[in-house]
Amino acid sequence: MEYFLHILVIAGIYIILSLSLNLIVGYTGLPGLGHAAFSCIGAYTSSLLALNMGLSPWVGLLIGACVAALCGIIIGYPAVRLKGDYLALATFGLGLIVYSIAKNWVSLTRGPMGLPGIPGFSAFGYQLSEIWCYLLLVLAFVVLAIFVINRIVNSPFGRILRSIREDEIASEALGKNTVKHKLIVFVIGAFFAGIAGSLYAHYITFIDPSSFTVMESITILLMVIFGGMGSISGSIVGAVILVVFPELLRFLGMPSSIAAPTRQMIYGLLLVVLMIKRPQGIMGKYRFR
Amino acid sequence: MVQQLVVNGIIAGSIYALVAIGFTVIYRTVKFFHLAHGVVYTAGAYFAYSVVSFWLLVFNNQINFMGWLLAILTGVIGAGILGIVIDRFVYYPLRKQNASNLIFLIASFGVFIFIQNLLQLIYGAQILTIRTGPIKEGHHFFDVVITDIQILILTVSIFLMILLWLFIQKTKLGKAMRAVSDDPMAANIVGINPEKIILISFAIGSALAGIAGILISFETNIEPTMGFIAILKGIIASIIGGIGNIPGAVLGGFFLGAVENLGIWKIQAGWKDCIAFVILIIFLLIRPWGIMGIKTEKETI
Repeated sequence: MEYFLHILVIAGIYIILSLSLNLIVGYTGLPGLGHAAFSCIGAYTSSLLALNMGLSPWVGLLIGACVAALCGIIIGYPAVRLKGDYLALATFGLGLIVYSIAKNWVSLTRGPMGLPGIPGFSAFGYQLSEIWCYLLLVLAFVVLAIFVINRIVNSPFGRILRSIREDEIASEALGKNTVKHKLIVFVIGAFFAGIAGSLYAHYITFIDPSSFTVMESITILLMVIFGGMGSISGSIVGAVILVVFPELLRFLGMPSSIAAPTRQMIYGLLLVVLMIKRPQGIMGKYRFR
Repeated sequence: MVQQLVVNGIIAGSIYALVAIGFTVIYRTVKFFHLAHGVVYTAGAYFAYSVVSFWLLVFNNQINFMGWLLAILTGVIGAGILGIVIDRFVYYPLRKQNASNLIFLIASFGVFIFIQNLLQLIYGAQILTIRTGPIKEGHHFFDVVITDIQILILTVSIFLMILLWLFIQKTKLGKAMRAVSDDPMAANIVGINPEKIILISFAIGSALAGIAGILISFETNIEPTMGFIAILKGIIASIIGGIGNIPGAVLGGFFLGAVENLGIWKIQAGWKDCIAFVILIIFLLIRPWGIMGIKTEKETI
């Protein structure tokens, strides 16, 4: 039962990540290949604040998300001016740079040794140690993310995002500042990724750079594409399936030295098959152009 | 110290340049980022490793010239065939649908992940080595140490770069490749089959990647994840040199190798990959058409 709840918590964190990436990739049509970088920034910020300055995880979560959003501005400012594959490559590179910083800035992040003993959340003077408390917490944030992103995409602002996705030049011709809109989307996406990273750090109580690799970014992208580009329910389905599925491999009794490459092989194959057969994903309507 | 770093930079740069020209040959005809080029490089090294280890097993831990030749040929031809297979099974269906560049890019990433993990499943995640015998000390020239292997890497890569340049510029097939690169439709009208040219580009480009993979496995080691950084460096070299430009890719490769290695003179070695991406981003912002490239309409980048 504990194990089952744990999978649900992890799935919830991935739902936040894939929803926020879907805003960037699915609704605005920007290929973001470095989403794990933002959750890395959120996770490290709030863990370091909690460990070094004894700050409450709640405050850390907020600051972590804000720092991630700030990095979204710094990263997005040059990146959103690029087009198509160049933007993909730039976000990819920036993901790798953040990973490299987490790994090499040993005096701050302890590098590959990671940060152990990150305190968990507490509420009304009680330490949240039961797993179902975290499940409720993560669910609350999932609901928040769904609510906010749903409001964004169904607002006039969201319509501009879709117009940028469908035809950027046309929306520029209508007088929309596309660079500004793309930047705002980047920042919102980074903010939610920061929340997800911080939740992960305080739930697992240990982080190291290997949780935020490029492969992690690709997994989140796969969740978005598989579930459906530009579809909120699609992102949820994609995240849940891709979190639960590797656990099934474990039930088949595969040793982890075989299970890990097998899982990634299936991910790779899934990406190729989706691109050839159904680039918009199971529930999506939009495909990259 | 500085001289040594420059030499190291040139050696590293020649490998980057070799990956970059293979990537560029393919990019010129298909016009998308063939990321799976990196895994072809890895596969080339593993093919050669398989032949070497098989030879050592059969011939009682002895390997002669024939064995090395067979291993290298297997690696190179195997890589070429792998490139063609990837094109036929993944890119060809996408071309039929007129898919966008981003779809190609993501599919190519999928191929990369698939083959890399397939190699890991077959050979294991551990580091393997293709070298036999004791490690020899390098030659000393003016404060600089350079090994036999490094001299081999440099000569082979420069030779291949010149050979490729002559092939593209002087032969009829090279001319056809340039024609398809400039305008596939017009090339088709004058009787060049673009599909055939694409296959040839994949074969040549992938064989070059295979050679680069084998050369680097003599210099360092083989591991399943080695292609990832290699292709990123290759793409960065191509972009900073001017995408689609073969001399540019060579120049970009050497430039990247030199800057990275001079960079670790002042900064820790762990930041090497970071330096490469910072250079890429600076180039994308300031001079996206690269050193040798020609500035085209702004909309293309």
